[in-house]
Formats: sequence, C-alpha cells, structure tokens
Amino acid sequence: MAEISWISRGPLEHVLVVGAYGARDVAPGISLTEVRNFDLIQVMARRGKGAELANAAKARFGVAAPDAPKAVSASDVTLIWSGPDQFLVLSKGGKHAIDILSQAFSQSASLSDQSHARALISVTGAKARAMLAKLSSLDLHPASFPIGAAAATSIDHTGVNLWRGNDRPDGQPVFNLLVFASFAVSLWHTMLDAAAEYGVDIGFLEELA
Amino acid sequence: MRIVCPFCGERELGEFTYLGDAKPVRPAAGASEDEVFDYVYLRDNIAGAMSEYWYHGGGCRAWLKITRNTLTHEISSVEPAAGVGARQVAR
Ligand SMILES: [Zn+2]
Repeated sequence: MAEISWISRGPLEHVLVVGAYGARDVAPGISLTEVRNFDLIQVMARRGKGAELANAAKARFGVAAPDAPKAVSASDVTLIWSGPDQFLVLSKGGKHAIDILSQAFSQSASLSDQSHARALISVTGAKARAMLAKLSSLDLHPASFPIGAAAATSIDHTGVNLWRGNDRPDGQPVFNLLVFASFAVSLWHTMLDAAAEYGVDIGFLEELA
Repeated sequence: MRIVCPFCGERELGEFTYLGDAKPVRPAAGASEDEVFDYVYLRDNIAGAMSEYWYHGGGCRAWLKITRNTLTHEISSVEPAAGVGARQVAR
C-alpha cells in the first residue's frame, strides 16, 4: 500500500515570496503579511438562541460579541462579526479552540472549526487604502471604517471577512482579511497586482501577534 | 444598483443574488393541481413595485425581502426574510 503523508502548510506557502515586490524606486507603500497559525472558530446561534448565545459569549470572553459589523478584542481573542447572530473567534494557542468553545456554547450555537480553512492576510502601509480601493467597493475612509469596523464582503468575487485592527505604532492603518484557503492564492495575486505600483514589502508571521 | 442590506449596510449589486417573486405562498397540503401549478410555474410580469427575494451571498449570507420598482430599480424597502433567525436588525 502506498504511503500517504500529510504535510501541513499554509495556503500561501508556495506563492508568498518574502521581500520586496513591485516598484523599487519608492519606500514601500504597502506591507502584506500572512499569518500562518491561528485558531478560528465560526459560531452561529441556533434558531431562536441569539440572546442565549450573547450571554454565553459575554461569560466566555468577558466582552460582548459584536451584533453589528464590528470586530471586538479582549486580551486573548478577537470576535469578528460575520452575519446576523454569528461571529468568528480568532485566537491562538488553543485557549479558545473548538473543543473548549463547543462546551461553552453547547446550548446556544453551532460551531465550525475554520482554523485551517482560511488564510489570514494583514494589509498595512500609507497606500493600504489606495490599494484596497481598487479591489473593494466599500468606503474605507477613517470616518466610515474606523478601528474595529468589520465587513463581510466580496473582493474580486471572493467572499472575505475584512476588519480594521489597531493602527501601527507609526499611525498607519491595518486591515485584516480572512479568505477561504482555496481562494487565497487567487486573491493574493490580485492584491499583489493592485499593490505593485506602490512598492510592497511581503512577509509572514508563524503565529498570530 | 445598490442594495442597503439591513445587516451590512449599502453594498453593490454584485454581492447579491436574485431569487425571484416573494409573493407566491405554498398551497396547503391537498390543494388542487391548478393551485400547485400556479404556485410552481405561474408568475406575474409586474411593471412597477414588486416584492422579491434576494440573497446577500457575497456578504452576510442573509436572505432579504426587497420591494423594487421593476421600471426604475428604485428600492423602497428591504427587510430580513422570514426564517433568517436574526435576533435584531443591526441598523
Ligand atoms: Zn448583508
């Protein structure tokens, strides 16, 4: 019988080339960073259990889960709105992994482990908005899309969860993006095309910051 | 055309899929063949305000019930479709 080995690797591992990309005569206007390891759980209220889920989430995370397009952070977790009565739980180190959350929400929600089903890409830099404006029809102006704003939307016909994290220490905005793993390579190329003219600094993080 | 999703806010048409007429009501069990035929196949061709189902598949994946003027594309109301299970409409 043939030996089958499973090699675990990030969805962008064979296309992501660390370093500079695109225009070189300018300081990079965009940084693109893939985050390779994280726990991501989709939580969806069962029929009529929205209020119960909200209470359970508050008890579990210490913060209220978002009931509008927002991302809410506590010390060790980010809760990202993904639709009515549903949200994503982004964390690391197994603290909010599926086996633990499925107990916390056993009465109120259905859960699905998306940890290895999505790619997480962080877009930042002085030209981050200019680049995203080519790809998204959302208004990402700070007045319309402040820190903590989130959206379930489509970029290049691909469904994404987009949210704005805390600004970088130098004041530049940070946009985080979750995309289905099998669409990640396509979206990655689209993003590189859109970003090339601004100069890109490409990198990855093994762990969620 | 842009649609204001009650959950996500204003979005481009490309994020939505059209299902069709929201008016037909499933006949009760034991209804006549004519009633079932009408429900399954016959549709009014409305020139004016029409009640329709749309799906926000490129966003929050909620089903919406929309009143759209088929002559002008003007949308006069958007609400979550029955069964969406939403605890509350966010905005
Ligand atoms: Zn929506």
